[in-house]
Amino acid sequence: MTASRWLFAIALAGLVVVAAAIWYFMGPGPLTFAGTETVRLADYQGPNPSGVPSELSQSDPVTRGRYLTHAADCQACHTLEGGLPFAGGRAFKTQFGTLYSSNITPDRETGIGAWSAGDFLRAVHKGVRPDGTHLYPAFPYAAYTYLTDDDVQAIWAYLGSIPAVKNPIPANDLAFPFNQRWLMGIWSGLFNPDRRFAPNVRRTPEWNRGAYLAEGLAHCGDCHTPRNLLQALDNRRKFGGALTAGWRAYNITGHPMTGVGGWSEEDLAQYLATGHATNHGTASGPMGEAVDISLSKLTPSDIRALVAYVRSIPPIAASDFPAVRTEVADATPWSGADVTADSLGKQVFAGACAGCHGWTGTSPVMDRATLIGSRALNDPTAVNVVQMVLSGSPAGMPAFGAAYSDAEIAAVANYVTARFGAKASAVTARKVAHLRTTT
Amino acid sequence: MSIKLTVNGDSRELDIDPDMPLLWAIRDHLRLTGTKFGCGMALCGACTVHIDGQPTRSCVTPVSATQGRQVTTIEGLATPAGRAIQAAWVDGNVPQCGYCQSGQIMSAAALLAANPHPSDADVDSAMAGNICPCATYVRIRSAIRHAAEALAAGTSAPAQG
Repeated sequence: MTASRWLFAIALAGLVVVAAAIWYFMGPGPLTFAGTETVRLADYQGPNPSGVPSELSQSDPVTRGRYLTHAADCQACHTLEGGLPFAGGRAFKTQFGTLYSSNITPDRETGIGAWSAGDFLRAVHKGVRPDGTHLYPAFPYAAYTYLTDDDVQAIWAYLGSIPAVKNPIPANDLAFPFNQRWLMGIWSGLFNPDRRFAPNVRRTPEWNRGAYLAEGLAHCGDCHTPRNLLQALDNRRKFGGALTAGWRAYNITGHPMTGVGGWSEEDLAQYLATGHATNHGTASGPMGEAVDISLSKLTPSDIRALVAYVRSIPPIAASDFPAVRTEVADATPWSGADVTADSLGKQVFAGACAGCHGWTGTSPVMDRATLIGSRALNDPTAVNVVQMVLSGSPAGMPAFGAAYSDAEIAAVANYVTARFGAKASAVTARKVAHLRTTT
Repeated sequence: MSIKLTVNGDSRELDIDPDMPLLWAIRDHLRLTGTKFGCGMALCGACTVHIDGQPTRSCVTPVSATQGRQVTTIEGLATPAGRAIQAAWVDGNVPQCGYCQSGQIMSAAALLAANPHPSDADVDSAMAGNICPCATYVRIRSAIRHAAEALAAGTSAPAQG
């Protein structure tokens, strides 16, 4: 080949690499699956999908803002465990280092009391602080960017009405190059659409309200959609399940076996509104928090809208997940093929768990403690089982992290997945030690 | 079949089925009746004994699982933590009907042996599997706190009576 042919070949190969990178990183947006027949919100003929539900539409801005702040679940991230709401300081341990959430109370020095309404709007839509520096996308502004200006201003009005708390936030502890905030400007340029929600005319008004709630406010995808190497959501696997903050956010696509396609609409609505549905387990960890602080505060009409939207997500099979087992375990500790009589896991289960959860996995005490049907028990990695044993659950389960060793917790996780789930897990003491450091 | 058991430091050989629950062997064959039968399903904690220091529900543990291991029942609980717990139980008048109490004491003694300064949350998680139908939970928690203090101060005396 001549030199020019070589150059041509190299250039072509380079183009292919660039095209592949663009294809990989610049995937579809969160609403691409629904089709392109969207209109600007101002031009939409149907009922307004933004704002508060009709019951609250006549109320003052602070009341509307409170509802929207709940729906956006600001409080979960901006509150330290046991701390004052919205005063920030909660640590987020990522693979790049530790981030601390900011104080969003109206304190002028340590909070956002010195910001203007315009500053707040820019931060929420564009991820930029008043001094022009960029926020890290742990703050889900790529979702909040879909919110209308009015809704952001209502949230601003509410946050201005809560007590100011003086709470200085520690500096982030991130490794180079992730400590370079200006790089987040490039991330934002690539992955923040910086567009407001555009209703889809082919879908129902209820679906549009659900889409606005799920994509703009509740930012479900931030936990439930896997991320690419640049930490942007990979919407080719939208809602397909991901590991976030040491917990597994499950597949919530319409897949009948490994998603929520097999759940009835009533079960989905009940789970979102109360954190529990019969034979589907109980929300714990970050989802338990999302229900407590956010979803349980939504009106029934908004819960129905969320269900309608989640129902429309294209099914994705989670290949590493067996179908959820629905039959109960044997009634006595001495029977069942999975039981080895003197296993450490059984000993721990007998001492700490059987009283509430029962040997069948159907709780003799309360519906919320029933294990059968829970996805955590059917997850062969048992990540959420270990996390629940370590840190307990607001639904009433004590934390056993201090009471049992890593080996005992690994043993009981493997015992319960074998006894009550579709497939036994193989958790090691080392894995438990690692999970202790992730939250 | 011959089963060798070491209970409260004594080695005994019993001709029993290896699948027999440890509780049956302790109560019916060794005549140590301080350990109680509650539910038979590891749901209540009344039958708690120690196997190598670990609180264990004897009603669901086959005797074969205790071969070569040290079983301790309420009659033989004489560790420093065990003595401190028993003294605190007497001082605080913890029991009401008393049926669950040997199990409560075994769980509490194992807790203090592993964690000499338990927080209230540690107490709740360690004692979560021991049910008291008389609801003496508040007295149990306070007795465990007093026993921990006495252990730390080195003032625990053997239980009287």
